[in-house]
Amino acid sequence: MLELVGVRHRYDGRVVLDIDRFAVTPGSGIAIVGPNGSGKSTLLRLLALLERPSEGEVRLDGVVVAGAAPRQRITLVEQRPVLLRGSVRENLEFGLQVRGIGRTEVNRRVESVAARWGITPLLPRRRHELSDGELQRVAVARALAVEPDVLLLDEPASSADRAAAQTLYRALAEERARRPLAVCLASHQLEDAYRWADDVRALAEGRLSPVTPENLFRVELPSSGSGELKHVRVGTIEIAAATDKTGPAILAVPPTDIFVSREPLASSARNMFTGRVTRLAHQRPGTVQVTADVGVELVAVVTEEAARDLGLTPGGPVVFSFKASAVRVF
Amino acid sequence: MDFLGEGLRRAVALLFSGDVEVYGIALLTLKIGLIATVLACGLGIPVGFVLATRPFWGRRAALTVVNTALAFPTVVVGLLLYGLLSRRGPLGGVAWLYTWQAIVVGDVVLAFPIAAALAAAAVQGVDPRIRRTAETLGAGRWRTAWTVAREARFALAAVITTAFGHVVAEIGSAMTVGGNIRGQTRTLTTAVALYTSQGDFGLALALGLILLLLALVVNVALQALQGRGHA
Repeated sequence: MLELVGVRHRYDGRVVLDIDRFAVTPGSGIAIVGPNGSGKSTLLRLLALLERPSEGEVRLDGVVVAGAAPRQRITLVEQRPVLLRGSVRENLEFGLQVRGIGRTEVNRRVESVAARWGITPLLPRRRHELSDGELQRVAVARALAVEPDVLLLDEPASSADRAAAQTLYRALAEERARRPLAVCLASHQLEDAYRWADDVRALAEGRLSPVTPENLFRVELPSSGSGELKHVRVGTIEIAAATDKTGPAILAVPPTDIFVSREPLASSARNMFTGRVTRLAHQRPGTVQVTADVGVELVAVVTEEAARDLGLTPGGPVVFSFKASAVRVF
Repeated sequence: MDFLGEGLRRAVALLFSGDVEVYGIALLTLKIGLIATVLACGLGIPVGFVLATRPFWGRRAALTVVNTALAFPTVVVGLLLYGLLSRRGPLGGVAWLYTWQAIVVGDVVLAFPIAAALAAAAVQGVDPRIRRTAETLGAGRWRTAWTVAREARFALAAVITTAFGHVVAEIGSAMTVGGNIRGQTRTLTTAVALYTSQGDFGLALALGLILLLLALVVNVALQALQGRGHA
């Protein structure tokens, strides 16, 4: 198991990562989502043992990593990977040669990984003879050729179209089925993260938090707004979000951050929407998932006691309220 | 202007005459140049690598020192070496003053900061992803350095060329610690200075042309080496 414990990482005195604990367990599939500059690449570089945290520890199987030797069990594919000098074949061989693996085994592994990733025809090519998509596949294959315990991928689908991204995720799933392999990828594609990963974490301003798949909206954030408060149309409602970002983004409203009531509340919440309950579901003991149509479909989580006190029933009236600062922006 | 044409004619004639003294001076210059370049680059390039890639306390100060040393006046280096190597100096026991070895030492001192500073710049110019890629694929320190060096091969070849050019063109230190002794420590630059001062312009020009030829041959050889592979 690969862990970051009590990590605070700084660049030029500025804290860029502040993580109490983050673990990549054997065989797990973890996606880290967050906007550009949220610290995803730094987090992956720490996990890849390419940088040492300013504070805190990186542990591998419970042992604090001191030297560079454990790097041989972890491989990172960068967002914009580069090929080393030489052919694609030489690149695939590189990691095997530095491990002192014999020629026959090197050839076998290179042929195998090239076939699995459909890059056999590319083996004699050099870096200037590859497209971005081919380069990405070669980089992932190169990382997998050394059969790491942990594969770290930084925005692996950023240069790929939708079909290529799906192929990539499918091939990764096949790799995980083939041998024990933990994959931790950073992405700003929240949908892909949910489709592919067992565990999704949000990284914002260097801090990690869990993300649930409900209440996600693809929006276009306006450049105008009063300070950091932006009003964004989603369906027939307008959601207020506290963000300084503009342009394409994903809004996420954590279901536990939504106040549920029968009547509109006098409160500081910038978002208050009236609608009707469409579904009540008991997901975990003691909690009720309340789905309501308030102009768009929103999901809130309340305790069973609260649901009973409010007399929530399918078709009944309901008001959902949440603060602008509760809206996560990716 | 006549003396220029006359000098040039004399230079060409000397070059093809097989003059023992001229070729002796050229060979000594080549020997000193190659040995000093190998030593300066052998020491300076690894130091440049360390300065460029390994964070350590005082790294920035070390880079400043190396960059400042680029502007070291050659005659001052010669003077300091003279003090060290003279009989009363701390290194007087080795008896190297007025030998070609003393010229090599002076040239190494002068070319080392060139090799270190330019190698550091060359390595810093390599895409940092190359180093990270080698490391994440499991390469150790040496293999990673070699991988980065392969990427910076053109710039590193330029480092060697520059160091060699500096060494063979240097005169201040060679004159001071070598003494310009005929048949022993007379190099192309010290000979050019001597024959010019004696009014033997043709011989001085011939030696100057040989110096240029040497630099050309070394550059062509390095370019040929670089051209043996491409990205």
